[in-house]
Amino acid sequence: MAHNHAHSHPPEEVMMKEYWKVFTILLVMTVITVAAAEVQPLHGMAGVYINLILGLAIATFKVFKVMQIFMHLKFDHKYLRAFVFIPVFLFFVMVFALTQLENFNHP
Amino acid sequence: MSLALDLSHEPRTGIPHGKLVMWAFLASEIMFFSGFFGAFIVLRQSNIDIFTHSSHELNWKLAMLNTFFLIGSSFTMALSIMNLEKKDKGKFQLFMGLTILCACGFLVVKYFEYSAKFGHMENGHPHPILPSTNIFFAFYFLMTGFHAMHVIGGMIPMGWMFFRSFTKKGYHNATRVEVLGLYWHFVDLVWIFLFPALYLLFPTM
Repeated sequence: MAHNHAHSHPPEEVMMKEYWKVFTILLVMTVITVAAAEVQPLHGMAGVYINLILGLAIATFKVFKVMQIFMHLKFDHKYLRAFVFIPVFLFFVMVFALTQLENFNHP
Repeated sequence: MSLALDLSHEPRTGIPHGKLVMWAFLASEIMFFSGFFGAFIVLRQSNIDIFTHSSHELNWKLAMLNTFFLIGSSFTMALSIMNLEKKDKGKFQLFMGLTILCACGFLVVKYFEYSAKFGHMENGHPHPILPSTNIFFAFYFLMTGFHAMHVIGGMIPMGWMFFRSFTKKGYHNATRVEVLGLYWHFVDLVWIFLFPALYLLFPTM
């Protein structure tokens, strides 16, 4: 069963390209998150929510990419592949909690 | 009939045991950190002024540098696994060495960040920021502290594999390095959420 073997990912040149791609994505996305948080062009609650959701969405995408490529889940057994849904699920929980929970100080 | 335990009827996943166990361990780690994040979010919403004010006292530039260290170390870890698989000893040592170096860089930056908090001055008087300062800093030290411990925990086996590869016996177990790599990428993943949660996702002052 080739797809179950420990080294079942695509050939080295393909993986090398993927690794560089993910590495670049991670660096660029980090800079975008920081820039968006430092600038916050919109004021008031809209700006706060945009910063929150954008920051969490980018973090979730980064985590997704690391799991798929660096942790080889994209090429792994289907039981393990289910792990990529955890950050996506946590993203929705966090967005819900951070936008819907009562803000006790500012009702 | 043999008395030995017969497991031939058991379905086989074909996943190496080490890898399967590591994923089960990572699942428990997700729950460990989820507890902190859950409490953090609930208390953030009910103490948003303290959290916003305290978050702006953190140094996001140092944290961004640390993000780059961890992303870099994840990248070099992936390359070190690839090179051990094709039995390129020199490149394995190079990339494993770089991974350990990035981890050291992370801890050095963390040291400066913590000591800046402990030696914090206000109006010319020493005013240390400690876990007991307020609820935000309690979370800050707890979460980054546990994360830093995970970094140290990953460095121990990485250092062992690195130095072992220079001995006569050498180091050849690529599957084991891959399993350690899973743990190391997870430590990176936790930081990817910790960095915005503690430093960035607050309203501007």
